[in-house]
Amino acid sequence: MRSPALAIGWEFRRRHLWALIAMTGFLLALAAIKLLFLGPMEPIRLDPPDGRAAVVITPLTATYFYLLAAFSFGLAGDLGARPSIYPARMFALPLRTAALVGWPMLYGTAAVAILWLVTALSARWPWGIALPLIWPALLAAVFLAWTQALMWMPYGLPGLRAIVTVPWLATLDAVALLAIHYKVREPMMVAFLAPQLPLAYVTACSAVGRARRGEVPDWRGMFARPASNAVLTRRRDHFPSPARAQAWFEWRRHGRSLPALVGLLLPFELALLWLAKGAPAFVFEILFLALITPPFMAAFTAWTVSQPNPQVRDSYGVPPFIATRPLTSAELIAAKLKMAMWSTLAAWLVVLVAMPLALEWSGTWSVVTERARRMHDAIGTPRAATVVLLFLAGFIVATWKQLVQSLHIGLTGREWIVKGSVLLTLTFLILLGPIVEWIIDSPSVQRALWNALPLILAGLVGLKMCAAGWIATRLDRSRLLSDRALVLGAACWLVAVLALYGVLVWFFSTPFVAHYVLALIAILAVPLARISAAPLALAWNRHR
Amino acid sequence: MSESVISVSELTRRFGATTALDSVSVSLPRGAVYGLVGANGAGKTTLIRHILGLLRVESGSVRVFGLDPVADPVAVLSRIGYLSEENDLPGWMRVDELIRYTSAFYPKWDDAYAEELRRAFALDPAAKIKDLSRGQKARMGLLIALAHRPELLVLDEPSSGLDPIVRRDILGAVLRTIADEGRTVLFSSHLLEEVEQVADHVTMISYGRIVLSAPLDTIKESHRSLNEAFIAHVGSAATPAAET
Repeated sequence: MRSPALAIGWEFRRRHLWALIAMTGFLLALAAIKLLFLGPMEPIRLDPPDGRAAVVITPLTATYFYLLAAFSFGLAGDLGARPSIYPARMFALPLRTAALVGWPMLYGTAAVAILWLVTALSARWPWGIALPLIWPALLAAVFLAWTQALMWMPYGLPGLRAIVTVPWLATLDAVALLAIHYKVREPMMVAFLAPQLPLAYVTACSAVGRARRGEVPDWRGMFARPASNAVLTRRRDHFPSPARAQAWFEWRRHGRSLPALVGLLLPFELALLWLAKGAPAFVFEILFLALITPPFMAAFTAWTVSQPNPQVRDSYGVPPFIATRPLTSAELIAAKLKMAMWSTLAAWLVVLVAMPLALEWSGTWSVVTERARRMHDAIGTPRAATVVLLFLAGFIVATWKQLVQSLHIGLTGREWIVKGSVLLTLTFLILLGPIVEWIIDSPSVQRALWNALPLILAGLVGLKMCAAGWIATRLDRSRLLSDRALVLGAACWLVAVLALYGVLVWFFSTPFVAHYVLALIAILAVPLARISAAPLALAWNRHR
Repeated sequence: MSESVISVSELTRRFGATTALDSVSVSLPRGAVYGLVGANGAGKTTLIRHILGLLRVESGSVRVFGLDPVADPVAVLSRIGYLSEENDLPGWMRVDELIRYTSAFYPKWDDAYAEELRRAFALDPAAKIKDLSRGQKARMGLLIALAHRPELLVLDEPSSGLDPIVRRDILGAVLRTIADEGRTVLFSSHLLEEVEQVADHVTMISYGRIVLSAPLDTIKESHRSLNEAFIAHVGSAATPAAET
């Protein structure tokens, strides 16, 4: 291997070999399914997507984002830090900066463009779906090139990378969406996108060049606290307990990410309200988008929360600094759960403050009050208030649940479990679309499912309780939780289930839904097994 | 000598096909400085990780203060001060925040002593850990390991790759800890000179086996220097690099 270009390419290939093999395997499987099974049927509809489209869209989207992260070195760098995330070890290579930038950019843009071309060509053949070829490939390449340029740039403040990158890429995305909406011709799109590649390349060269020379601007001084405040900080009292200290640690490490991400995205989403005047349906779509932002972003934040050692991206073990804290594994998990709660509340505070302000300022408040009045007339004040509160509580709990439900996977510190779980989730998402489509299209399946619903729910409850029982036994035997804590936890869970059951019975006072079905739903809705498994997972990792 | 602070018996640990520790038995009575010497990969860190409860015993037994460090981590770890070879202090914390955070875990934390060490080590309380030099990070790690006056101080390669001034600081701190009555120090090193300066008792480990464990004075009676003893028991091929 005499060529630096080949060496850089080899590193990418070697590092991401399994992902490449999985992607190739998927494309081959997709081609086989298409030829053997779907050929005689109607083509998969992508706009608007039908259920089977998930089989194509989910893995391809996941692959695209994976390529984005891999070629921008985002999988190994600290995105929140001021210095460039371009690997510093490569700065010492006897290569010009243009080559350091050029090869990863060339490989990356080629990879994403090929990904689109393969997708589009396989969709075109043999059904002849009219998908554009050139400009989406160019858009994918431009998106990647700008991601690389903005990721590799050194910034003056921590977190500024995200603040610059997200709006820039969102604007690029919005332009593309508008182009699709207004059916802009391909040559126009090519003319808009093509010049951006050299622009991104020049920006990246400048960014890596500065990083290579160690030029990292430092604007922290502008936001530094006055010296008197710093002294006050240093004189703060001790933490009242180790648990509080650990909760503070978790909050500082992970807790602020979710509110920050929500605060970053929300203005863009709520700005659409100014375009939605006179279109009530659009107003509610925007509000729904804003409401699902915290749980949606929590799913991404959870990735770092469940990592035992977020400082080292490729490390799965608990770092000695944390492993040697004189706390039990259950106490370490309790700090994470507490942090997740505060993080959730902070994120929702942002939503609950921003949403009414945006409605008021955009002049769309009346749309919401009108719908509330109609709801009040239809079902009465108590039920209307309950619906709103239940929805809100549901969203808040879903956000917290998203943050903590993968702890039992990530904290095991076993690479095969973490990667296997990602694969299973992707497989589930891929299969979900066709299954839902099948159910919607088939009334007989719907009838059978409705009849079997109590049995299905009972089966799921049985599984959940078996898992919880096994976990409780393990927790007790390994002395991770005391008998008192176990009993107290079980009692709290039971109270939550009974409370939810009470609300459901009061709300769904209909003969069509049996009360025991509501009880089963309440049991399934309140988290138990996965959260209880988190201390076991951590202990398994902490004491290897 | 009083009862053992650390008692390791017939400890064997394998990582796949590699035997990291092979029937290791060590007993460390209270109140002395123990040097654990061996070449890189000899098994020093694996033994220390067992003592801290970071590795579960597969075969044999490990007791620290008479307790199983895996089954009872709080009781064991709250009495240990540990300086990790990896130096994995959280980079986002400031020096004063790390001191405040760490103090919460140890009821015997001594604020005055912590401040004294901070000044002695010239650590700016407002500095971020990630902005500290490698030597400053080692001093910071030592500060939080020492300031709760632990019954057992475990230092894993404390001066690996550090300059002589930092090494002197560390050695000075270790010596001060020794002066504290009844405290025990276990430190691993591949620098024989360093071990010779401060250890009362030396344990040599090679390919996962204890090849020599004796008081330093006894070793010196039969060998001219620790280096000679190391070559005699471990072999020149595995002799730790002589750094200055």
